[in-house]
Amino acid sequence: MTSLTAEVRTGPTEWLRGYRVMTRWELSSLRLLLPLIVAVQVLVGGGFALGIGLFFEEIPTRNALFLTTGVAVVTLITVGFVLGPQLVSNQKTAGTYDFMWSLPVPRTSQAAAWTTVNAFIALPGMIAALLIAGWRYDLPLRVSWSVVPAVVLTIVTATMVGYAFAHAIPKPMITQLITQLLIFVILGFAPINFPQENLPAWLAEVNMYLPFHHMAVVIRAGLTDGLVSGVVGSYAVVGAYAVASTVVAAIVIGRRG
Amino acid sequence: MTAAVGAPAVTAEVRSGARRWLRSYLMMLRFDVRGLGQWLGFGLVIQVLMGAGMAFMYGFYLGDVPDVVKTFLATGIPALALIPLGLVLVPNLVGQQRIAETYDFIWSLPVPRLAAAASTFTVFTTMALPGAATALGVGVWYYDVDLSVSWAVIPAVLLTSLMSTSVGFGMAHAIKNPVVINFVANMIVFFVLLFSPIVIPISRFPDWLASVHRVLPFHHMAQVLRDALSDGLVTGVAGSYLVLAAWTVAGWVATGWVVARRG
Repeated sequence: MTSLTAEVRTGPTEWLRGYRVMTRWELSSLRLLLPLIVAVQVLVGGGFALGIGLFFEEIPTRNALFLTTGVAVVTLITVGFVLGPQLVSNQKTAGTYDFMWSLPVPRTSQAAAWTTVNAFIALPGMIAALLIAGWRYDLPLRVSWSVVPAVVLTIVTATMVGYAFAHAIPKPMITQLITQLLIFVILGFAPINFPQENLPAWLAEVNMYLPFHHMAVVIRAGLTDGLVSGVVGSYAVVGAYAVASTVVAAIVIGRRG
Repeated sequence: MTAAVGAPAVTAEVRSGARRWLRSYLMMLRFDVRGLGQWLGFGLVIQVLMGAGMAFMYGFYLGDVPDVVKTFLATGIPALALIPLGLVLVPNLVGQQRIAETYDFIWSLPVPRLAAAASTFTVFTTMALPGAATALGVGVWYYDVDLSVSWAVIPAVLLTSLMSTSVGFGMAHAIKNPVVINFVANMIVFFVLLFSPIVIPISRFPDWLASVHRVLPFHHMAQVLRDALSDGLVTGVAGSYLVLAAWTVAGWVATGWVVARRG
């Protein structure tokens, strides 16, 4: 009789190992899709920058600035809010979801790995959108170092919010619908691609409590000069969403059985 | 042992004919509506919300605009509201069936396959209507425009809705991989919402893109609807009806080709 060694592996080394292998796992399981997704991100980002221009006979510089920086924000957050939950819901439909959880790595390392992969996907689109729009509208962009924490915080928050609801909702169809609704809100009802004053007062007020507007504010602050104010408050709101969604995600993925 | 002797003969007569087709169609309608279940109600609510939402969101992007632009918006938005259902929800539904492996089961049901397809068309064409009506109502109210609605609105709405359901259905059956379907569907929505002459005059498009849009259905959807809702904004509407009819038939041909194949 050989005895089964059932020692529980824990500790930071184990977590880091889990994070590394899961990042590799996610990247290689997306390997066919990854170039496609990145290409789509670039196209969508650039497409938006050009397409909205058609709405106007002659686009005013202020609108163009909002649009350009807004498109960068949109490409950055849709991966976390939309693509992530859709992938999870596909796993649930295909029945591979439980298998993923059965892998012998800490679940938090899986979440961290997914956030990293999100950044891989989102950043090229964001940069492409900025370049294309900057070229098309010939804009006075001023990039400062503060864009780095803004981008990191925004990616983490968007990913964690998406992660939390995708795992918490058992029905894939509902998750799919929520993601479609989110695209809609992000594009149409949050002052990301256009200035806040274009919204009715009540809707602008609602947006003060949602993360989208504040994500746009912190990123715009890193990309332009004098376009936004109240940046500190926006950091606080986005930060609060980051913490809250991480807690929810931790509770959901911490459940066993 | 004479097991074979005395066994009842298997009656394998093929049932066909118009009455059986109609009966199958009605059964499949029931099957589809029940199968969608709660989701049907949920989908309807989403449709209505999206229709209303689209009516607002273009205004948010544009800020303050002149009256002609407002009329253009209010008459274009119902067409936009009809597109996502047929070209996104229908293909995704078929995609989900493939992932859940119920796709083959549905084709195995003992009804004519065309009756099954016709039932899907009916359900989704009907489902698109409340959303489009809401979009129109909200648009008229929000942009404060006067429309002159003619009887042509009935064929215009039905054909537009049927066209997008048919193309979506055809596409979903022609493309095997659900991920690709989802991707194509999302691309279409993106393309339609941003780069199509539905709420924007086609004259503002670069020439090459305008030419592409004379072949694609989206511009023509907006044309026939706008013609039915306003006076003097649209010309050459007969051609638009023809293009839409051609796309509808193309969707049916793609579906028919897949439907007729066995195994």
